[in-house]
Amino acid sequence: MAVPKLQQLSKSVVQGPSLATGAIPTRDWMDIPVVFKSGNYAYPAKKDKVEYLNKQSGLHFPNAREWSPEDEDWKLPEGWQEIILKGLKERLEKFRSLKIFMDCCVRCGACADKCHFFLGTGDPKNMPVLRAELLRSVYRNDFTLAGKILGKMAGAREMTVAVLKEWFMYSYQCTECRRCSVFCPYGIDTAEVTMMIRELLHLVGIGINWILEPASNSNRTGNHMGLQPHTFKDNVEFLVDDVENLTGVKPNISFNRKGAEILFITPSADVFAEPGLYTAMGYMILFEAIGLDYTWSTYASEGGNFGLFTNNETMKKLNAKMYAEAKRLGVKYIIGGECGHMWRVVHQYMDTMNGPADFLEIPKSPITGTVFDNAASTKMVHISEFTADLIKNSKIKLDKSRNSHVKATFHDSCNTSRAMGLLDEPRYILDHVVDWVEMPENTIREQTFCCGSGTGLNTDEIMELRMRAGLPRANAVKYVHEKHGVNMLSCVCAIDRATLTSLMNYWNPEVGVCGLSELVANAIVQEGETRGELDEGLRTML
Amino acid sequence: MDIAEGFRNHKEKIVNKWVEYALSTYISSGFFVKERDQFANPVGGNIREALNRLFPLLVGGADSREFIAPLEQIMSIRSVQEFSPSQAVAPLNAIKHITREVFASDKERKHLVQELYDFEFAVDLAMLAAFDIYMQFRERLYQVRIAEIRSGSHILTDSRCPSKLLPEDNKRL
Repeated sequence: MAVPKLQQLSKSVVQGPSLATGAIPTRDWMDIPVVFKSGNYAYPAKKDKVEYLNKQSGLHFPNAREWSPEDEDWKLPEGWQEIILKGLKERLEKFRSLKIFMDCCVRCGACADKCHFFLGTGDPKNMPVLRAELLRSVYRNDFTLAGKILGKMAGAREMTVAVLKEWFMYSYQCTECRRCSVFCPYGIDTAEVTMMIRELLHLVGIGINWILEPASNSNRTGNHMGLQPHTFKDNVEFLVDDVENLTGVKPNISFNRKGAEILFITPSADVFAEPGLYTAMGYMILFEAIGLDYTWSTYASEGGNFGLFTNNETMKKLNAKMYAEAKRLGVKYIIGGECGHMWRVVHQYMDTMNGPADFLEIPKSPITGTVFDNAASTKMVHISEFTADLIKNSKIKLDKSRNSHVKATFHDSCNTSRAMGLLDEPRYILDHVVDWVEMPENTIREQTFCCGSGTGLNTDEIMELRMRAGLPRANAVKYVHEKHGVNMLSCVCAIDRATLTSLMNYWNPEVGVCGLSELVANAIVQEGETRGELDEGLRTML
Repeated sequence: MDIAEGFRNHKEKIVNKWVEYALSTYISSGFFVKERDQFANPVGGNIREALNRLFPLLVGGADSREFIAPLEQIMSIRSVQEFSPSQAVAPLNAIKHITREVFASDKERKHLVQELYDFEFAVDLAMLAAFDIYMQFRERLYQVRIAEIRSGSHILTDSRCPSKLLPEDNKRL
């Protein structure tokens, strides 16, 4: 008979430690333990990195040790439950938002199907509501009357090792992209719930290397790469030579120059790795074309802030160095390059952590006279705001045909779109420099899909996880690639430039990735240039 | 009544059951089946579209090379999800049983079950192609990982301070 055969097939498919467990789970979510296996977790932080960070003033990263998520025993410190609960209590008192987020969710489910991790895995614990519930259940148990009396009936549960392991699994299957919060009728910022879970995990020595090593590098040398001043300078100078070879115009650059009008800060990946290199060349060409009085810094040589992915103290410390350098050099204000979470930190947290930056001036473009009131407190202008203003005032000459090899689309980076509202400036720029099309409406602007590898998850040992988390984004790119012949995915984030490259290599190998400033520089017509036919713009091999 | 007509009459029913079966391999199958916006639901959308494209090819005696595009659409997704290789391809096989089940429950077309040999052979060919495609995507995944390591982003975590590369003697200078 046919029917039993189909059932047998189902049975053979659903057996084994897999997500494919058949239609309806037979156990309550609280009773399904997490299983760590090679490929589904990022490597734990190295002992010496944790020790280094723990020694820094104002930072607390205890319990440095060798450990593996696959081990039964995670070598937690004595009294770890009390440490976690005390940490939660402190944070509930310190952050009013956390207390509200814990209390006000009515589990309406509006966020449930908005998470790219959920859409790519089908795992219910990746529904933002349930991910937050991992923490909320413990909160209920120890901090609410209903939970204390009714226990599991009220959705409460004790803090156990199994819960801790679940926290680790799912707080590192969230890129804090905040797409879910766009749909929440209460405005619960589930990213901040993830941030709190990660903070609590650090209190007992649970963190991943791909976050803590860049954070410690950034604290030590000023950038994630751990590049020392001379290396950083050399790298930027290589790019100057490349630009001169390509265009015939050598950009004037300077480092740590006191008295410069503007300090320029960008992610260090832009001066180090492809395709970010071309974006960095783009900045130089633009600034040279308008004769901007600016300086690079070999100390504030990183826009990115991996502190955001660890705890608020580290975030504050790494953010502060940019402003300390601006003060030291005596610049008027800062222009920030194409970065994602640098802007999240600047717009959402800088003012209360390190601001207001009263020693700087409200940014005013020296070329157009435009005052950037939106940056009145942080004194930091986004390169796209700055560039769009130049174009609007016809201060740069652009030849769109120089990008005729490109058919672009635009990926709104989670941080710049949802955390600072940078939606129209990049589009205005694209209109003037390249032929481009939008991706489908429910995948752009505030509803943009994450690259799937943000918040320090862009490490290669979890490549499969990253590919499935990036599926919703890649799926929309595939659509415009097939329908409109799109061959370039432009963006304004360094992590995107790295991670979308891998994402495209898997899902849409015919689509490249670039920064917006690369496309701008491709199109710029400079005085005194001797550039030949650059068939691939700045990427042309001479 | 011939087999071609049998397929024509039952196409929608068969393919819908096939899609639901394929999506039942995910825990959150309800959402994957229900949400029809392909951008809001890429797993459900792609699997539904690909199976709808594949079915007429299996029925119509198409060259097995034509199976590749829809199979890639499915296998690119299932090869990066937490399935074993057999779990990744098994939903394709289900169409054999679903078709038999649908025909058997239709009194007028019960006899067609005897004529399914060609169709089932086409499904076998699709299954074999799916294994190849599964492996192609696994290899692509590894290539992506290698390319990323080569691109230099690994230096974020695996680099050492340049001064550490200096010989011990030089450090004392």
